[in-house]
Amino acid sequence: MSVPVIQITDMSKYYGRARGIEHVDLEIGEGEIFGFIGPNGAGKSTTIRLLLNLIFPTSGCARIFGMDAIRETKKIKQFVGYIPSDATAYPSMEVAEFLKYCLRFYHVPHHEKRLTRLSELFELDLNRRIAELSMGNRKKVSIVQSLLHNPKLLIVDEPTTGLDPLMQAKFYELLRQENQNGMTVFFSSHILSEVQMLCRRVAIIKEGKIVRVEDIETLRKKQLKKVQIEFAEPVNKENFNIPGIESTISSLNHILVFMYSGDINELVNMLTTKEIINLMIEEPSLEEIFMHYYT
Amino acid sequence: MNSNLFLKEMRRNAVSLILWTLAITFLITLTMSVYRTFFDNQSKVLGMMSLVPKSALQFKGISSFEDLLSVLGFYAVNNIIYMMVLGSIFAIVLSSNILLKEEYHKTAEYLLARPLTRGEIYFSKLSVVFINIFILNLATAMAGFVCLEIVKTGPFSIRNFLILSLYTFLLNILFGAMGLFLSTLVKRPRPITTFSIGLVLIFYFIYTLSKITEGATGIGYISPFKYVNMDVVNSAYRLDFWHVFYFTGISVIMILISCRLYSRRDIYV
Repeated sequence: MSVPVIQITDMSKYYGRARGIEHVDLEIGEGEIFGFIGPNGAGKSTTIRLLLNLIFPTSGCARIFGMDAIRETKKIKQFVGYIPSDATAYPSMEVAEFLKYCLRFYHVPHHEKRLTRLSELFELDLNRRIAELSMGNRKKVSIVQSLLHNPKLLIVDEPTTGLDPLMQAKFYELLRQENQNGMTVFFSSHILSEVQMLCRRVAIIKEGKIVRVEDIETLRKKQLKKVQIEFAEPVNKENFNIPGIESTISSLNHILVFMYSGDINELVNMLTTKEIINLMIEEPSLEEIFMHYYT
Repeated sequence: MNSNLFLKEMRRNAVSLILWTLAITFLITLTMSVYRTFFDNQSKVLGMMSLVPKSALQFKGISSFEDLLSVLGFYAVNNIIYMMVLGSIFAIVLSSNILLKEEYHKTAEYLLARPLTRGEIYFSKLSVVFINIFILNLATAMAGFVCLEIVKTGPFSIRNFLILSLYTFLLNILFGAMGLFLSTLVKRPRPITTFSIGLVLIFYFIYTLSKITEGATGIGYISPFKYVNMDVVNSAYRLDFWHVFYFTGISVIMILISCRLYSRRDIYV
């Protein structure tokens, strides 16, 4: 069995009394594009910063390529690319100067070719100062710098913020290509559509804890259904209580919308006792599934 | 140490180093240019100075009027503010921000994602601080030496000049180490320039206070300025072993502690 690319074991981080993450366990295999989703403050960036040894864990440990993320951080980072969520780079540097500076930390053959190819792909003006660039262009610089040394693992934190749709598409395509060439991707985002599009597996983090690690498809195929019922008469949601109702999305006078994981037959049987005008049972979107875990 | 990081930091600080060097050189040249006039009119000047309160002269480090007649004594007394105070301010401002700026400029995430240990980052930046202080001291001391050669009215001790320059260098290094030490104590990243400059000025104030106030001699020992021997006209002037030990010892301790703190520090961006 091959060594996991990322292995986090019972890792916690507290900032004084404030919670960062708690007892996180995570394992990511070679060649995966692994989604990491959660709202702001859930602990996504904390997890990434622990992996990169920007911060130290309160307890637990992480291994990357089988190496200790703290003691062997230098060796690990030879093979890791990182796109931070904040694309601030050295403002007084020109783009080319910054990219060459980043490259000189690695021993990469044919690096000039790769720099040119990536810069052309993202239409970067190499002679402009970083301070003069828009948010989107800074993000492109950030993407290019992360891939210059041909990393085996790419860690990305909200990578497409500020990118226009065309560039987003190019970025996704590039990720797929690099992934086919063997690169593992740890993709942290709150944009569920891009996670859904790119990733095969996903971890959902909530209030510092991993609440689910699932295949995207499994998550979609969970028995969870979105049910919308329009009643002839006003209905009180408290009186409508059958096993399997996971959470109520909305409750108006005549209309009730909820997530349902129980037996559909039981629901239908129960509905025969009520007068209903309309009934809709549908697959929830990933966003709705995600929101379900948070409410 | 990482040469790539070192060279980038050197380039990044080059303009600041040049400006500080030019400013201090200009001030030294300006001050030394009046030496000849001072020397030629010594009887008038000394007569005038006899009216100045002794404490005011001590504030400038003058122990006797005759010190000022020697070109090296004149140089030491009048240039301390430039070479020691301004040099120390340069050193502490540079060193207190060189690690922290990666955090408050939010570039630390790029730097720490590279294949570098914290120790390599620390020692690359420390080397930049030392080399900058060395270049500043070398350039300003050379400018001072040229000025001395131009305005001198008789021979002066080059040995004593070199010892004074070495004291200045050690003092600046100590403030450089202090800046690094302070920056690793800061919990939340923000510039500490004002605080650092204030610290140098407070130490200088304590030193001068200890010189002009008879009862306050003891508190002078908490100021690094106290350990710089400026009595260059004294024939017994020498490099005091314990003072050199004080400067290097305190600097090494602060460097080792700050390196350890930086290696275990959570980097926030």
